[in-house]
Amino acid sequence: MMLLAITVSFSAFTALSLAMDRHQADLHGKAAATPTRRRAWRWLGWALLALSFGLCVVDHGWAAGPVLWLGALTISGILIAFGLYPFRPRWIAPLAWALPALGLAVTLFAR
Amino acid sequence: MKNGFRQSMAWLHTWTGLLVGWLLLLIFMAGTASYYREEISRWMRPELPRSTVDADVAAERAITFLQHKAPQAESWNVSLPDPRNPAMRMFWRNPESMVKPPAEGEKRRRRGGGRFGDATVDPNSGQEVAARETRGGDFFYRLHFDLHYIPVLWARYLVGFCAMFMLVAIITGVITHKKIFKDFFTFRKDKGLRSWLDFHNVSAVMALPYHAMITYTGIVTLMFMYLPWGVSVAYPKDEDAFFSEAFARLADIDTPSEGRAVALPIQQLLDSARAEWKGADVGGFTLYHPGAANAVIDIQQRDGKRLSVDTPSLRYNAVTGALLEASPAAGGATQTRGVMYGLHLARFADWGLRALFFLSGLVGCLMVASGVVLWAVKERPKHAKSGKIGFGLRLVDALNIGAVAGLPIAFAAYFWGNRLLPLQMAERSTAEADVFFYAWGAALLAAFIWPKRMMWAWQLYLGAALFALIPVVNALTTHAHLGVTLRSGDWVLAGFDLTMLAFGAMLAYCGLRMQRWQPALSAAGKKRQAAAKAQQHAGAEVGA
Repeated sequence: MMLLAITVSFSAFTALSLAMDRHQADLHGKAAATPTRRRAWRWLGWALLALSFGLCVVDHGWAAGPVLWLGALTISGILIAFGLYPFRPRWIAPLAWALPALGLAVTLFAR
Repeated sequence: MKNGFRQSMAWLHTWTGLLVGWLLLLIFMAGTASYYREEISRWMRPELPRSTVDADVAAERAITFLQHKAPQAESWNVSLPDPRNPAMRMFWRNPESMVKPPAEGEKRRRRGGGRFGDATVDPNSGQEVAARETRGGDFFYRLHFDLHYIPVLWARYLVGFCAMFMLVAIITGVITHKKIFKDFFTFRKDKGLRSWLDFHNVSAVMALPYHAMITYTGIVTLMFMYLPWGVSVAYPKDEDAFFSEAFARLADIDTPSEGRAVALPIQQLLDSARAEWKGADVGGFTLYHPGAANAVIDIQQRDGKRLSVDTPSLRYNAVTGALLEASPAAGGATQTRGVMYGLHLARFADWGLRALFFLSGLVGCLMVASGVVLWAVKERPKHAKSGKIGFGLRLVDALNIGAVAGLPIAFAAYFWGNRLLPLQMAERSTAEADVFFYAWGAALLAAFIWPKRMMWAWQLYLGAALFALIPVVNALTTHAHLGVTLRSGDWVLAGFDLTMLAFGAMLAYCGLRMQRWQPALSAAGKKRQAAAKAQQHAGAEVGA
C-alpha cells in the first residue's frame, strides 16, 4: 500500500501542476488553459493529496504515516519538476494514470 | 545591510548559507549516508554471516558464548540479530580486579580504562566472527556531528553553529522566495543563472518539511550541550540524576554479586517480556551478575515500532523470573524530545520510508551544493566585466569544486580503502578514515591550484569512476559480490553495489554536463562569432 500512496501523490502533484497555466501550456498549449479546467484540476489535485494522506495513515499509522506522506510528496515533486517537465513532458499524463494503477495492482497482489 | 525587508532577508540568506555551506555539505552527505549505517557496516565486513536464526536460539548461543568467554564479568550486554544486522554484537564489563594497569607510557585509550571486552558472534554457529577491523557506517555517523581529528566538544559546537545558520538560511530563504507556489514545479533548464536558481528553489521547496525537520531536530539531539544551564541550575550537584530521572531509564546496578545460582533459561525471560509488551520484539538484554544468586536482567524492546528514540525496558530477577521494575512512563517534554530525536535518526523507518529519508537527504545535499554554486554563478559576471577574477570568487570556486565534486571522491575512496588495505594491518579502521581525508585533501588542493571548469569535470569524472568501480573491486577482493548476492537474493549487499553504480552514473552525467557547458554569449560575443563564421565561409568559397 506504500507504493500506492506514493504513486497517488505523484498523480496529485501532476493534477496540481496542470492547474497552473504555465504547465497546462507546457503540455496542451495555451488554448487549453481555461479557468474552468484549471479549477477542475485543482480540485482533483487536492482530493488526490487527501487520498494519499489517508493511504499513508492507514498503512503506517498516525505517527509514521504523515512522515511517509511528506516523503512521498518530496519524491513525486522532484521527479515531476526535475525529471519530467524539463526532459520528458509527454510522459507525465500517461504516468499519472499508469503509476497508481501499478501501485493498486501491487497492493492487491501483495495481500 | 540593504534597504527593505525582503532585500535584507536575501542578504542574510546569501551570507549565512555561503559561510557554512561547505561544512554543511559534509554534514549532510555523511548524515544521509548514516540512514544506511547498518547496511554500510555489513558491506564493509563481508566476513559476517549472511543468514540468521530465531532470536531465542541466538540469545541462548550468546549466553553459552559469554559463559566461556567472560565468566567473571560483572555484566553482559547482547544486541540480538535483526534483519538489518544478522550478527550479534556483545560487550561485557570486567571487574576492577581483572584490569591490568596500563603499561608505562601507554595511553589509556579504551573507554572505561580497558574494563570492557567486546565480540561479534555468528548466531548460526555461536562462534566469534573474525571480521576485518573497520568502523563501517559508524564512521559517517560520527563524522556528521563529531567531525574528525579535532576534539569532539569543538566539533559539536561547530556543527551546532552550522545547524543554527542553516535554520536561519531556511527561514530567510522561504521569505526571500517570492513565487514559492507559482514556481512550485518550475525548473527551466539550459538558462544559466536562471536554471541554477530554479534548481536551488525546487530542491529546497520540494523537501522543505524534511530540511526544516532535520535541521531543527539535529539541534535538539545536542540540546543539553548547547543549552546546559537549565539542568545545572535545577541539579547543581548531580547532573546524572537529571538524565536518569528525565529519560525514564532504569538505574545502573552497582551492588556486588552474591552467592551462586542457575539463572532461568533466557528464552523464558524473553517470553515474559514479550508478553508484558503484548508481542513487541526484544532488541537485546543486559545481564548483571551472571551466575550469581542476585542476577538481574534488563530486557530492551526493539526500536522500530515507535517514532520516539527512547525505547522501554523491563528488569527481571534472572533466577526467579519476577518482574522487578519497568522503565517509568516518560513525561511530556521527554516524549517530545524523544520523538524529535527519533525523527532525526529514523530508526523507526522500514525499508520504504528509509529510502524516502535517504532520497530526501540527497535532495538536501543538492540544495546545499546548488546554493554555494549559485553564489559563484551570480558573482562571475561582475568579475568578467573587470577582466580579472577576484580573490573572493577564486576562493569560493576552489571550495565549491573541492566540496561538491571532491567529497564524493572521498566517500568512494573510503570504500576502496576498506577493500584494499591489508586485512591484518595495525590500526586499520584509523587508516580507512585517513584514506577518506587524504582523498578529500588532494581534491581540495587540486581545486585551489587550478579552480577552473575543467577541474570540475575531471573531479566529477574521477568520482564517477571510483564509485562505478566499487562493485568491481568488491568482486575482485571478496566473495560477497554481485554475482553471489544477486543470485542468493541478499538485497542489502546487492543494493549497496547497485547504488554505487547509480552514483557513478549520476556523477558521470554531471561531469559530462560540466564539460559540454558553453558560457552564454553576450550580444557583442554573438556578433563576433557570426562575423568569424561569415569570414570562414567567404574564405572557403574563395578557396573553391
